[in-house]
Amino acid sequence: MPSRIHAPLIGSLAFLAVVIGVLVVGGLWVQSTVTSSFREAESIGTARLLIEDVLRRQLDEETGVRGYAVDRRAALLQPYYEARAALPATMRRATGVLENLSLQSAPAALEDAAATNRRWLQQVAFPLLNSRAARPALQFRGKKLVDRVRADIASIETSLAGRESRGRRRAQQAIAWVDLFAIGAISAFLAAVLLFAVQQYRLGLRLEEERTKAEEQRRRSAEDRAAYVAEKRIADTLQEAFVQNVLPSPAMLRLGAAYLPASEEAKVGGDWYDAIELPGDRVLLAIGDVTGHGIEAAVTMNRTRQLLITCALIDPSPGPVLERVNNELMRNESPMVTAIAALVDSRDCAFAYASAGHPPAVLLEPGKRARFLEVGSLPLGVLPNAGYQTHRVRSMPGALLVLYTDGAIEHSRDVVQGEELLLAAIESAAHAAHSDLAAAICSRVFADRQAADDVAILTLRFADGARGSAPTFARGSQMTVAGR
Amino acid sequence: MIQTIRLAGELDLSRKRELRDAFALSSDARAVLLDLSEVLYADSTALTELLRFCAMAQTANAPIAIVIAAPQFLRLVQYAGLATAFKIFHERGEALRYLSERTGN
Repeated sequence: MPSRIHAPLIGSLAFLAVVIGVLVVGGLWVQSTVTSSFREAESIGTARLLIEDVLRRQLDEETGVRGYAVDRRAALLQPYYEARAALPATMRRATGVLENLSLQSAPAALEDAAATNRRWLQQVAFPLLNSRAARPALQFRGKKLVDRVRADIASIETSLAGRESRGRRRAQQAIAWVDLFAIGAISAFLAAVLLFAVQQYRLGLRLEEERTKAEEQRRRSAEDRAAYVAEKRIADTLQEAFVQNVLPSPAMLRLGAAYLPASEEAKVGGDWYDAIELPGDRVLLAIGDVTGHGIEAAVTMNRTRQLLITCALIDPSPGPVLERVNNELMRNESPMVTAIAALVDSRDCAFAYASAGHPPAVLLEPGKRARFLEVGSLPLGVLPNAGYQTHRVRSMPGALLVLYTDGAIEHSRDVVQGEELLLAAIESAAHAAHSDLAAAICSRVFADRQAADDVAILTLRFADGARGSAPTFARGSQMTVAGR
Repeated sequence: MIQTIRLAGELDLSRKRELRDAFALSSDARAVLLDLSEVLYADSTALTELLRFCAMAQTANAPIAIVIAAPQFLRLVQYAGLATAFKIFHERGEALRYLSERTGN
């Protein structure tokens, strides 16, 4: 499970990586903001120097002209000429810087200052220099133009100052973000560590829980296994007590039986059969199946067997026997039991039977096809005071009566197919004149399939009238089902 | 009131809980219609539940009609003696008519 153990670490690292990414982007943003603010401040400084220079040159021009107008000394015009020569270049540079700063009104103001300066030169400076008189009106005009230039410069300075303070504020904000980032980074790191610790802890708990659960399961399955083995041994013992059952050998009858345990061990259940000799050349046959498996089924099976025998000793008539057994079973909570009781009279080849929810018996008479006998009423242990009808059958010497439990026909879920297979197996085994008919039927039915449930088969053969010669049965390659 | 219980498919041990829940007699049921027309198979566990329920309804004096269509399932309930103790029909309409007559509706 290495991936699960590393999961918390991967989660924390991913979280940290996201946080670091955000921090890096934020840092780059702060850096570029601060750098551009510095660069802007530098440009603003340069613009100020140039603007001041423009103003100074304008003053130089003006004072030169004014001085010359007063005493006509050529030396006084020296600054005027210098300024006039330098001013256009200074103006151009200042315009460039202001445009780079992309201040809205400043380039226009500088343009206006340059135009005003040119007007001053043409309308005031040149006339004054060429005139011999004082011309006070011109001088007043000159003052107004110079004031306008100063106002322009002042407005440029105001917008520069505005831009400067805005830039400073932006830089300060960006720097303030650095604090936030630092706090964020520390918190994120702590959160990642915490996250890792919590997930690690929870993973630990879960692994511990799983370990406990797995241990619990192991323990429980070991207990279950032990309980199962114990129950199985008891159930097997009870079942064996029946399997070792030795059948009687009454005169004029031949009894045979087979028991095939379920292929699956756990399914060993409560199938049984019995044959008891009664006075007057009579034999009581019984076969039954307790629903369910295990000890309860095995115990119920033994109880039902004893009840059947006891009741038969009072009155062997099959219907009343089943009625008494049912009422006894109904006195206690009991699994459902299906059974057939048959009372056979060996002297005149007749028998009477009653069925309680059991699959129908099969009768095969010489010269005829095998057929199912009529079914009976409800299983034992279902309805109090249930009635069971006694069916009487007069048969013939050599006839074969086969009783079986449902495992013999319910190997698949299609019982109709199971019935056909059983009839065919009975006919085939009878034709082959096997000495052990029950085993022969069983091996035919389960020749190419496994028994999903226990199978018990009990056969009874009336002695053949011809004494010793094998009875003849109808032969048919195609199987047909009689009696339905 | 006619209580109707309808089940389908193969009834076996794996559906024990469902069967237990289905086979509960309603206290105001005056008759029971068991519609098993789509049932194909029932193992002994399911048959036990079915029989116990029918016996319970009979003890409670509630007439019960069972509808069965699949021949292989009909065979199984015939073995179980259900046909001798209870009324079995091949289709739902007949079963309902029978119950209506019995309950006087």
